[in-house]
Amino acid sequence: MTTVATNATDRPLARVSRTARAMLRPAELYLLFLVLLIVAGPWVAPFSAYDFNASASLLGPSWVHPFGTDEFGRDILSRVLVGARPTLLPAFAAATLGIAAGTVTGLVCGLFGGRVDELIMRSMDILLSFPALILAMLIVTMMGSSIVNLVLAMSLIFWPRSARLIRSAALEIGKREFIEACRARGESLGFILFREMLPNLRSVVIIDLALRSSYAILLSASLAYLGMGAQTPTPAWGLMVKEGQQFIQFAPWLTVFPCLVVAVIATGTVLIGESVRQRFAISTRLAR
Amino acid sequence: MPLWLLITRRIAVMVISLFFVALLTFLIVNVLPGDVATAILGDTATPDQVAALRGSLGLDQPVLLRFMKWFFDLLQGDFGTSLTFNRPVGPMIAGRLLNSATLALICMIVVIPVSILFGAIAAVKQGSLLDRAITGLTTFLFGMPEYVLALGAMLIFAIWLQWLPGAAMINPGESLFLHLDTLVLPVLVISLGGATYIIQMTRASMIDVLASPYVRTALLKGIPRWQVILKHALPNAMLPTLVEIGLSFGALLGGLVIIETIFNFAGIGQLMVMAVQSRDVPVLQACVLVIAAAYSLGSLLADIASMLLNPKLRN
Repeated sequence: MTTVATNATDRPLARVSRTARAMLRPAELYLLFLVLLIVAGPWVAPFSAYDFNASASLLGPSWVHPFGTDEFGRDILSRVLVGARPTLLPAFAAATLGIAAGTVTGLVCGLFGGRVDELIMRSMDILLSFPALILAMLIVTMMGSSIVNLVLAMSLIFWPRSARLIRSAALEIGKREFIEACRARGESLGFILFREMLPNLRSVVIIDLALRSSYAILLSASLAYLGMGAQTPTPAWGLMVKEGQQFIQFAPWLTVFPCLVVAVIATGTVLIGESVRQRFAISTRLAR
Repeated sequence: MPLWLLITRRIAVMVISLFFVALLTFLIVNVLPGDVATAILGDTATPDQVAALRGSLGLDQPVLLRFMKWFFDLLQGDFGTSLTFNRPVGPMIAGRLLNSATLALICMIVVIPVSILFGAIAAVKQGSLLDRAITGLTTFLFGMPEYVLALGAMLIFAIWLQWLPGAAMINPGESLFLHLDTLVLPVLVISLGGATYIIQMTRASMIDVLASPYVRTALLKGIPRWQVILKHALPNAMLPTLVEIGLSFGALLGGLVIIETIFNFAGIGQLMVMAVQSRDVPVLQACVLVIAAAYSLGSLLADIASMLLNPKLRN
């Protein structure tokens, strides 16, 4: 099993030539693109995403405004570029937070097994009895629409789903001799969970994060569309669609371009998640 | 263990989990920071207004007492009173639930056979152009939020081509079947979303089954290929697909919220969005409960179906 861990560590980092080659892979290029969009989006936006311009209201796509303008004369392209942050950051934050919680929960279940495992997993099942979007809507409505509450609600969606996955892999690790040896040595709980078990589950956690992130973007975009989280005038993509929808008959570009951007980014993330899954699944299988 | 006992036990598990679902819903509404009175009045309310509303809603009583009262009312079919319409929530929900259930049922009837067919074809013709087209399309649809599909379909079919109505102006209680044309776009969009999961699962499990020794034996025995696929492989590939259908039901119910709102369809999802916007907490609570119950029922049916199909699960 240690071979899996070493294999996973030296994959991207060990040799420069390999890193160089990895940089050219579509997954890395795509991630670089997302990071650039989040970091530099607001800088490269040609117009302000917030300032009204009455003389340019509801203009169709043109060279000056490639995605057109909205009813207040704001440039849609600029709003889309600025909107990457309020759309993608909550999604990634929620996926990370939810998977961190799920990993800890899964590891604890895997280590202790028995009653502890049973009790925790049954509680997770209750969270799983709600369709994801419905539970998130309820929580955000009751706690108030803010980005922080949105992230908390979404991470609560990912927590049980991730816990279940990590647990199924951790149960097997928890029974291994080296864990028993740790206990006999009197290692602390934290050491056993995070220094002994976690490295062996690294590929599972990475796969989970990759696949969960793409769903997080979908969820974030859907919740924003329902008016949860970011509020007007923030140009979160879902919110832009919601607000532009009333003009769909005579100014469809208000809806079409934010929709296209959501679709492209979300589909791209699904593909990346798949490729990460395949790559790590193969490395795990070969090492065994 | 006999089958009926297993099914009874599974139903008991569902009933217990529904109790906890109700408990959790109540706790989210009543215990999380940000209480009901503030949620109803909005962030601009003065403390006096909040205190007055808390009193009139009975929120100054202990939480446990309130939960018990709420839960026993619920058992008697009393979902409370809507704050915006000042009417009992139960009858408000009933008519809309029927509409949503009909819509969901039509979608399932459309989706299940079509996706199983496509999934099976993709598996049998694995690696072919057709397989790649099907797999590519499902991956593409998988990454789409429902509203992108819905608005796209509306733009193309209702606004540009003007083939179909873009909004379903159906009153609660009115028969859906008087307005069949308004159902086409919602059904199309929900089906496209739901089909992706089922196609992918059918394809994956069908590929596994086709590679199994008994399929090879059947082929070597000289049984025609189509017969092996239909009679030997497909029924066995159905098992993981069934579980997936049960799970995709949850995604379908979540999708209803968005799609009903876009197409102005008088169902439970649209009611839930309206309740969120008007901060009508009793209605919101009831919608969440009903949708969660429908979800549990979906996975119950999927579990029972797989028990019936697979004798191994009966132990």
